[in-house]
Amino acid sequence: MPSVQKLSCVVEQVRGHGDRVYTVTLRPERPAPRFQPGQFLHLALDPYEPSGFWPESRVFSIASSPAERRSVRITYAVHGRFTERMESELTEGRSAWIKMPYGDFVVDGRADAVLFAGGTGVTAFTAFLEALPSDCPHQVMLAYGARTSDLLIYRDLVERCVARVPSAEVCYFVEGATGAASGACPGRVSVDVVWPRLKRPQDTQYYIAGPPAMLRAIGDDLHRRNISSEAIHIDAWE
Amino acid sequence: MSTGNELREQIAALVRRYYEAQFSKGTFNPERDLVHYAGRVFDAEELCRLVDSSLDFFLTANRYAERFEADFADYLGLSNALLVNSGSSANLVAVTALTSPKLRDRRLKPGDEVVTVAAGFPTTLAPILQNNLVPVFVDVNLGDYTADPDQLRQAIGPKTRAIVMAHTLGVPFDLDVVGELARKHDLWVVEDNCDALGSRYRGRLTGTFGHLATFSFYPAHHITMGEGGAVSTDDDALGRIARSVRDWGRDCYCAGGENNTCGTRFSQQFGSLPFGFDHKYVYSHIGYNLKVTDMQAAIGCAQLEKLQGFIAARRANFDRLAEALRPYEDRLLLPRATPHSEPSWFGFAITVRPDAGFTRAELVRFLEASRIETRSLFAGNLLRHPAFESIPRRVVGDLSNTDTIMNDTFFVGVYPGLDTARLDRMADVFSRFMRGERCAVMAGGGAA
Repeated sequence: MPSVQKLSCVVEQVRGHGDRVYTVTLRPERPAPRFQPGQFLHLALDPYEPSGFWPESRVFSIASSPAERRSVRITYAVHGRFTERMESELTEGRSAWIKMPYGDFVVDGRADAVLFAGGTGVTAFTAFLEALPSDCPHQVMLAYGARTSDLLIYRDLVERCVARVPSAEVCYFVEGATGAASGACPGRVSVDVVWPRLKRPQDTQYYIAGPPAMLRAIGDDLHRRNISSEAIHIDAWE
Repeated sequence: MSTGNELREQIAALVRRYYEAQFSKGTFNPERDLVHYAGRVFDAEELCRLVDSSLDFFLTANRYAERFEADFADYLGLSNALLVNSGSSANLVAVTALTSPKLRDRRLKPGDEVVTVAAGFPTTLAPILQNNLVPVFVDVNLGDYTADPDQLRQAIGPKTRAIVMAHTLGVPFDLDVVGELARKHDLWVVEDNCDALGSRYRGRLTGTFGHLATFSFYPAHHITMGEGGAVSTDDDALGRIARSVRDWGRDCYCAGGENNTCGTRFSQQFGSLPFGFDHKYVYSHIGYNLKVTDMQAAIGCAQLEKLQGFIAARRANFDRLAEALRPYEDRLLLPRATPHSEPSWFGFAITVRPDAGFTRAELVRFLEASRIETRSLFAGNLLRHPAFESIPRRVVGDLSNTDTIMNDTFFVGVYPGLDTARLDRMADVFSRFMRGERCAVMAGGGAA
């Protein structure tokens, strides 16, 4: 993992997706450090003074590609006090501090992989999908779910990846009634739908990023199918 | 009342004035001044950054260390550069990292062999021994002072697992052969690049070929932060292991003063510790504390901005000295680059030929008496030093060139602090010795 850097950033763009979900593009004062797809950053709203300690911050997967070091993108849903502050304070033109990169939730591109993504958890995989080589010899299956079809906010990126990479596939899930209409499976992300499409399920690596209930449900299901703990990678937080 | 930032600006202005008053260069006086072989080359910027960092009073690695590591990694085009407190520590970290259990079957284990040379600096060798590995020594070429490629091939045995060598005095060793051997025999390669920052091989920077590379920022080196060094790698797993070895051996990668940046501080299982034991105090390696202070890194940031100029000056000084000494090639073996390489010269190595008509001791004594600093090519032959005489080892051949280096080789400086007057002085002193003036010095008279 490259050395962590603290960077002052300017908020370049804030995009609202509805249902209090936002994508924020930050422009760091200098190029962001190298990072691996799946790694995350800490974002602080209060100013950081280098002679002092790092202020209160929260972590977000880095959704942008490692190739784009001039800007950094995150997506978040409003869930608590800090993200409420982000919603009200993180406006275009204001400054914020980030420190990055962190984390081991890195997809191993040398094996078949299933990526289970719930809601904004998909941002743990977007950089990986963008960087996936078109001649990738391994099956990459993305199971991507959201509450509504409008909240499949990285659908365009996913579609571009699937069109470009023959070994990549996607299966959408939408909880609301709009599921069927949008070509998605109705309901929450499930292993049942994905499993029959896997070529070598016992030789596949499984990655899960999303809400805690989903992490538990998918993880338990995979264990019941005799997938070893070593092959199950969970983007879990205390 | 001035704010902190205003006071900082006033202090910086005073520091610049102080630099001019204290360090502004006087005219070189050959009757009085030494021509050093190396030294700090700096201006007010280094002092200002140092003071700026001290005013942060963070003390341990902080914003300047972060900045240096990022800029240095970018310069090398690698993903990882981590600061340590010396080049020797860098070697210790790099070799120790390769013994990590996290590398599973690929880890170096006690008794594994590591190919290296005896004509070098002790702290390239010391970490091999400290990790209970067995060094395999090969001889070096005279002139470029790097490992003999044929002997490198001969050195590989069933227990050989790594090559750890320095690009001596800035001259890249044969990276074609080392790369070929590493691929063929699945060897780890550590480039000790402490003397060679900015050297290139086939157009690519040395320090970017091996699995790991090491750098020194001691004042004699290409850039300095007083005491300092770095380890680089493009392998993130190795980078994390190296960071752990540097930072007490701990598994957690939080910087000083940080907590739970991984988000799993109390929810992991390690060894036979109770589940959820505080990750901040979980140790996955037998490590050290080899970090730098932010003041050192602050100086390094200013130095790194000058690096390209320093490299150009070293090359120009080398060329100028080579031209001045070319008439004496019948008596002196002058330094040369290895094929496909562009050294960022650390020094100008000279071997006194057997039939020169004088000894190295006579020439060096004359130079030193004339205030031209000289240095041995480090340890000469490490295996003849008390600390290393009885170490476990395997030796390829008889290391005869290594012994020649011990007896007949020395180097003078090419560092950027040498200006035309100093280089002319060096050329003049060599010329006088070659004309026979050494006898006066030997008799105890001044040589100026």
